[in-house]
Amino acid sequence: MSFYDYANLTGNDAMQFLRAAGVTLYITIVSLLIGSILGIALGIVRCSKNKAVSALPLILIEPLRNSPLVTQLFLIYYGLPMVSSIMLDPYPAAILAISLNTAAFMAVLVHNSISAVPQGQWEAGLALGHSSASTFIHVIARQAFRLLIPQAITLYISQLQCSSLVALIGIMDLTKLGQNLALRTLKPFMIYGIVFLIYYILSSPLSKLARDLEKKLSFNY
Amino acid sequence: MYKLNFNFLNRYGDMLIDGMKTTLLIVFGCLIIGFLLGTVLALCRQSHNKLIKGTATIFVDILRNTPFLVQLFFFYYGLPVLGIQTGPIPTAIIALGINTSAQNCEIIRSGLMAVKKEYYECAAALGYGKVQTLQLFVLPIAFRLAFKSLVNNFINLVLTSSVCFSITVVETMGAAKIIVGRTSRPFEIYLLILLCYCIFTYIISFLAKLVDKKIHIVL
Repeated sequence: MSFYDYANLTGNDAMQFLRAAGVTLYITIVSLLIGSILGIALGIVRCSKNKAVSALPLILIEPLRNSPLVTQLFLIYYGLPMVSSIMLDPYPAAILAISLNTAAFMAVLVHNSISAVPQGQWEAGLALGHSSASTFIHVIARQAFRLLIPQAITLYISQLQCSSLVALIGIMDLTKLGQNLALRTLKPFMIYGIVFLIYYILSSPLSKLARDLEKKLSFNY
Repeated sequence: MYKLNFNFLNRYGDMLIDGMKTTLLIVFGCLIIGFLLGTVLALCRQSHNKLIKGTATIFVDILRNTPFLVQLFFFYYGLPVLGIQTGPIPTAIIALGINTSAQNCEIIRSGLMAVKKEYYECAAALGYGKVQTLQLFVLPIAFRLAFKSLVNNFINLVLTSSVCFSITVVETMGAAKIIVGRTSRPFEIYLLILLCYCIFTYIISFLAKLVDKKIHIVL
């Protein structure tokens, strides 16, 4: 086998692309799940009537929203072992960083969509004899959810793309594989073209879903 | 107990400040490219010509659905294959500018769509041509409507610019990485960088609020 044969893509590389796409999906899905749950919890706390309580999540949300994900990732992966005995492997570090980041953005979306439900809905629920918790679950949460879904999907798409940053701490995801193969085959256009295509296939159905749902779920009071 | 130690700032503070200057250069370069190209793309997407509309739509769609990091590598390793030799900083500005333009396009387009038909009719009745209608009536209104989202996008741009260190641009994050390599104090340095970005984005949103008060309109 000559050098030039080696420089071409093989069937094995196709398998590697699939595996790398799996890694990207795995990291994205796990961190989006954790991030969404945490984000919803933080968002509900943000809606609290008590001002001190509602300001509490801001300590977490504001720095996470206003700084780059790369810095957060590096702070967790390289910085945390220096100050504590927590030494995370690349995968947990990546998942932790992306989930926290997602949670911060999600919390703001949740807070916004809950506040977007008119005050009259609260009053109507209470007037019908629901407790405030019951009003929240049966009246407010459903309407807020409809507002939240399209925005959350848009967030998920952007987090899917942000997951490419985990390549920088050495995880063999699509981006890292593309980088490696581009160096080996010396055909950056082709390789990155394939990587673009795979990311596009992963994220464009979501984009379409977000657009459709936005039309379907929108309503006026 | 680990004690935070910021002594490295005496020696490497200048490097960090140089990095921030590079970040500013990249960010403002991209702001201009992103704004102009974004407006052109948004207008192309509104065009009646199917070819222009289709091309712009596909271009924006691809850029919005692929990660910036891969786009950056694409330009950095791909441009020399085409025979265009540029340094890392121009490459970063081009790649990030194009990426931002795709994001801006959608925002400006929604602004354009919010401009009511009556405005076009009004301009036509006053005898303005197509270009003048856009220039004097439609675009100013669209920009004002889209201003808040554009600022959000700009903040996003600032944060995304930190990825450029991966193609050896020594901007804030790149400088931080070099300093980490020399001093082995990743926690302090990345924490500092994180706070710097926070402060910078707060300044931007503060200024944006002041401007928004002046130019805010309701249609």
